[in-house]
Amino acid sequence: MKALMSVGALIGVLGLLMLIGMIFGVVPSNTVRLVEGYMPMQVLSELAVFVAGFTGLSYLANSMGMAFPRFWQGVLFWAFVQMYLKFRIYPPIPFSVRAMYGVVSFVAVFMWVSANEEDWKKFRQPILNVLDANTGFHKALRTMYLILVPLLIGGFSFVTMKPSVDEPIELRTVHPAPPASTKVHGKTYTLQTSQNPYRVNLEGKYDQAYSNKLIVEQGMGRLMAPNANPWDEKAEGYLKYVREGGEIFFQNCHFCHGDNLNGRGLHAFAFNPIPANFTDPGTIAQLQETFIFWRVAKGGIGLPNEGFPWASVMPPWEQHLTTDEIWKVILFEYWHTGYYPRTWD
Amino acid sequence: MGSVTRTKLMSVMALCAMIGLLLMPVLVAIPALASDGGAPAADAKKEGGEAKVEKGKDVYYKTEGIVSGPPAPKTTDSEKDYPRYNFESRVLLWFANQQHLYYGSFVLAVPIFCMIIEFMGVVSKDKALAKRYDQLAYDFIKISLTAYSLTAILGGILIFTFLTLYPAFFQYLSGIFRPVMHIYALMFVAESGTLYIYYYGWDKMKEGFLKWIHLSMSVVLNVIGTILMFLANSWIGFMMSPAGVDEQGRYLGNIWHVIHTALWNPLNLHRILGNMAFGGGVVAAYAAYRFLSAKTDEERAHYDWMGYIAMALGVSFLIPLPFAGYWLMREVYAYRQQMGITLMGGLLAWLFIIQATMIGILFLSTNYYLWQALGRMRGAEKYQRYIKYLVFLLTCGFLVFITPHTIVMTPAELKAMGGQQHPVLGNYGVMSAKNGGINVIITTTVLSFVWYMRGNKVSTVSWSKFGNIFMGCFFFFAYLNIIMLAVYGYYIPANVRVGLSVPQVATTLSCLFFMFALNSVMMKGAKQMGPIEWGKISARSQYALIMLATAFTWMMGLMGYIRSSVRLFWHVNEIMRDNSPWAYTHTVGFAANMISANVLFFWISIMFVFWLGALAAKKAPVEAKAAVPGRAAAPAVGH
Repeated sequence: MKALMSVGALIGVLGLLMLIGMIFGVVPSNTVRLVEGYMPMQVLSELAVFVAGFTGLSYLANSMGMAFPRFWQGVLFWAFVQMYLKFRIYPPIPFSVRAMYGVVSFVAVFMWVSANEEDWKKFRQPILNVLDANTGFHKALRTMYLILVPLLIGGFSFVTMKPSVDEPIELRTVHPAPPASTKVHGKTYTLQTSQNPYRVNLEGKYDQAYSNKLIVEQGMGRLMAPNANPWDEKAEGYLKYVREGGEIFFQNCHFCHGDNLNGRGLHAFAFNPIPANFTDPGTIAQLQETFIFWRVAKGGIGLPNEGFPWASVMPPWEQHLTTDEIWKVILFEYWHTGYYPRTWD
Repeated sequence: MGSVTRTKLMSVMALCAMIGLLLMPVLVAIPALASDGGAPAADAKKEGGEAKVEKGKDVYYKTEGIVSGPPAPKTTDSEKDYPRYNFESRVLLWFANQQHLYYGSFVLAVPIFCMIIEFMGVVSKDKALAKRYDQLAYDFIKISLTAYSLTAILGGILIFTFLTLYPAFFQYLSGIFRPVMHIYALMFVAESGTLYIYYYGWDKMKEGFLKWIHLSMSVVLNVIGTILMFLANSWIGFMMSPAGVDEQGRYLGNIWHVIHTALWNPLNLHRILGNMAFGGGVVAAYAAYRFLSAKTDEERAHYDWMGYIAMALGVSFLIPLPFAGYWLMREVYAYRQQMGITLMGGLLAWLFIIQATMIGILFLSTNYYLWQALGRMRGAEKYQRYIKYLVFLLTCGFLVFITPHTIVMTPAELKAMGGQQHPVLGNYGVMSAKNGGINVIITTTVLSFVWYMRGNKVSTVSWSKFGNIFMGCFFFFAYLNIIMLAVYGYYIPANVRVGLSVPQVATTLSCLFFMFALNSVMMKGAKQMGPIEWGKISARSQYALIMLATAFTWMMGLMGYIRSSVRLFWHVNEIMRDNSPWAYTHTVGFAANMISANVLFFWISIMFVFWLGALAAKKAPVEAKAAVPGRAAAPAVGH
């Protein structure tokens, strides 16, 4: 048990030192890389390792008779989580989300330190001491709080009330609800039931299971499935349409959406937000093909009211592409990213 | 033949009369259905000699039916369709509706608790415990009775509000539901009658066979209550996903189609579970309030026990609630993709984040209460030092569960993030991760319950070591399976991903059922480290119960608002347009304030109901007081 805790403590110390190094810019923030695609589990795993490390540290300190006060354990653990979120995770997390996480971690720390009566007494003792202990130190602390608290409140009020030239926060709806149907080149498409006419098997019938087998592998490699190269001259049917969609994509879309469909094209950074990243599991992977069809055909200008603020420069492609071309380009996007369009069956 | 037999005979007759009352509306309705279906054809024959029957196509079932009603009115923004009273009519209706729903839920849930608790008392072999259960059930129904009158008053106010503020809409809706309106009214009469006999017959029917008759009455009461709720649900189901009418909103003669809409069944299930969880929360809060204001140890012991039972009942319905919600949302998406996206990805997405936060609060409060409750058992210390790991698991699940897909940020933050999608948050913001998050939370809650149930006990079965290792491994692999399925969800088609929730839920429920069962077997004849010291629990635990109830109330208000506002500018989705000046979606802030106002009003009024209940208790005769459970020696069992 002791050996296990010692290893835990070592990990805890190393982790802390690295994080402190990152905060002060001594240790490069990519020393332990957060790998795209694996980041979400990596972050949770790192936090778990830290918790194990801190447990080990606490255990060792207790064994050596140098127990760390519970009050400071709680306060510092909460501060650690905030530092981790701010300095470890890249790209930076917006403040609104960090504030949510901050409140949750605060509640979690409270639940931990007050889970039983003994711990709760230990935790609140320093607070009670500040309020009513009669030692010189505590009297001085009280006086300091008496001066500091109003100053802090005043400072906070001042900062809040001060006119700001910062851009206001926006609650931009990423996926506004689509209409029930959309009319493109004179034909009405019901979004709930329409299908991509080019997602077909060798017999020319709509077959998503068939096309699913031919898309590229997800993950960093993005390898093509065996014998499923759309650029093979012999490619027919679905794969041929993917190739045609690819050609349309590279003639029209890649300037903004990028060669890798990750929203980082040549012109991407002229816009804010940059164009949609199709490789992210939160974009086309979440949507029906008909939703993409509607968005491509109608562009930013066709966004409904709830899409406010309409921060999208996506052109209404129905003015430039035929219906068939739009379907084919969508086919290519799903093939390239390795995602499957959403279905409800 | 004596007075006992005569009483039995009278009781059976009373029960039969009640069942007859229950069946009467159904019998009455059968000719009504038949005559309604045939009426237009007959009318048409009479008028024109040659049968001139107009047929229409059902908007949902796609079947043909004879047009049997007028089209949905095309309202205009005028005094006639939307009378004005210098106040936003929608807000008034919102308030009346919400208060009626709160009380309705409460009075439908509490009799179900009474039925369960009374049954536990009847089958209990321990006489003292049986008496405690019986008294508890009686306490519950006493609170419910005052609330019942208030529900009826609020129902009247609601109808009056509808008639006054939205006459055209109400006329149309009541026209559509005309074939079952009288059933609704008769059910209400049957419910009232049964409830009063049930309550006032408590003392007269407290022994032997009569007690079983009394218990059967609670079953009848709950059947009537549930049918009432299903009928009320058919109204909102129709407004969200209309069926049984053609495109113009004309009734096609099949009332079953009107009732059995795409969302009716998921709504029914969700509401039953929701009402039960809510009812448990309110009673637990009542007990917590009485605990905190108690003057004696006996009182504290009684209300501590009452709070625990109410919480346990409420939470047992809370655990399956997210799965019922998931089914409802799945049906919403299947019905209209547009509606689903408006709810979870679009306009109302932020309200769903608030809802996720509320769900998290519910589970956190429950766990916290259980950890505090470990403190009143000797021998539970061994579990307390591991609580921090449960906190970690709960927090990770909670953080993932509340991560928004649509993030509030400044354009500068958006730029710094390098696009709308964050590589970490983006993954947490979608359903696959959230399913993992909530299942981790629920599994951890199950684990807390298991710890609580074995808190003061040491298993004495010969295979206890193996049993403990097996349980540990079971939970470990359950967590592993839930997390792996959540990750796997990113690599498969969406329709398969949706199906992944089934093995995840199955994993969580396996923990619940198998581990509870195994734990019970292991703890049979276990060595007790000490009794449960009812009343010796921290005040924080009681605040956790109050928090639980408040979060339930707030979440009910929120979800009601979300469900209602997803129709956007429709009274009846895609059939009858809302042309009032208030047919816009409120801001998140306004909605939150309105929900808070509703919650505040409900709690103030229910405090009044509690006060009335306490007033009656004070006047109880001395001998009745002697039977108050807290005054009896606390039994060793209890959970």
